[in-house]
Amino acid sequence: MWKKEDVKSQALPQTATGIPTASLAASSPAREASAALTASSKASACISQGIRIKGEITGSEDLFLDGLFEGIVNLSSGSLTVGPNGEVKADIFAREVIVRGRVDGKIVGREKIQLWSTGNVAGDLQTERLMIEDGAVLRGRIEIETGRPIDKHDEARGVAAGSSKGGVTSVSPGSAAD
Amino acid sequence: MNFLSKLGIGVGAGAASSRELPRTMGMSGRPRNTGPSPVAAGASRAPELRESNRVSNGLKEFLWNLEGLGRGALLDLGPAWQTTLSFFIERGFRVSSEDLLRAWKEFLVEEEGKLREAAGRAAQHTLDVTPSSRAARFLEANLRYPNSSFDAVLLWDLLDYLEPVLAKQMVANLTELLRPGGVVFALFHSKKPEGFQRYRVVDSTSLQMISSPVLCPAQRVYQNREIQDLFGRYRTMKSFIGRDQLRESLFIK
Repeated sequence: MWKKEDVKSQALPQTATGIPTASLAASSPAREASAALTASSKASACISQGIRIKGEITGSEDLFLDGLFEGIVNLSSGSLTVGPNGEVKADIFAREVIVRGRVDGKIVGREKIQLWSTGNVAGDLQTERLMIEDGAVLRGRIEIETGRPIDKHDEARGVAAGSSKGGVTSVSPGSAAD
Repeated sequence: MNFLSKLGIGVGAGAASSRELPRTMGMSGRPRNTGPSPVAAGASRAPELRESNRVSNGLKEFLWNLEGLGRGALLDLGPAWQTTLSFFIERGFRVSSEDLLRAWKEFLVEEEGKLREAAGRAAQHTLDVTPSSRAARFLEANLRYPNSSFDAVLLWDLLDYLEPVLAKQMVANLTELLRPGGVVFALFHSKKPEGFQRYRVVDSTSLQMISSPVLCPAQRVYQNREIQDLFGRYRTMKSFIGRDQLRESLFIK
């Protein structure tokens, strides 16, 4: 099953428009004073739906990408979330990658890659842990990197989810059940 | 009548149903752009999806043939189910995933669009829509791997749903992708299937069958002799027929 804390930390809360609430909070005058500090210190960068960019994105912060992007994404220690409207034609290198839209390219998520049910990836995946929700589409090779100690918590979670008929489990190296 | 209709695939319905994927529990009524709520998974089950487990002697035999392979390479031609991928990755396999039936469906819809476009413009060069040329076009864009790059292939019941010409060409291509001694695990319906199911590995002796919205209608029911002809280049063939009219077959190159 999905980790509750992962959702809180990685998937930005959404409004009906699909824009992270962190971005909207600062625009409300009533809450501006208190929200601005929160937004400026914690908010991820956001490329919203309708924006089209070609080029290279580099950095170490988190990024929410819900528009169209073509090029290379390199977030050394940040996480990338491709939103449900996001279309990315790029090789992606990040600490963690969450795909809810479409990605055409190789994804290297150093710690974790999550494909949500609306996610569609054409490209190889390379990570330590992979989570695929039912309905996600993947066309590519999966490389699970070893060298990370087995997370007993994850292992137990994976077995439990596996027994619940098709929930999402995590693939981590060396967590064979037998 | 266009070829999508002949194949039993309506463009409108098809386009809609192509997004109706098997989902985790509690995901069915959610609008697409809100995304799933993993936390809520497990709250309720989508009513249209039925799952059932079946003991699989074919899978047992398939795994037995792969024992001692070490880090083998496996090609899964079904949907990217976490349970199936986990099962093989945890056993040391390098797994490639390609949902070929979905790709075929998308290809047909795309071809239909091109045809309409060509008809609208009264184009000089028309699209060759014979099954063989269609199969060739499809295989130009799919199953693109180096020769002898896999030790095992999970073919599932894919061949039942492809045009016979494409099925034949695809088996020939798969044979090239397999290393000598490589194993193919395939399923065949002994009679025309009433519903549409997808499969995933539960454990080393059983499969889970998930009833899903029809992606493509079944094209053909293969008889034993026809299956043998399709896999004529393989040195061994072994079949297990279940009470549910599903034939599990293993082919060793």
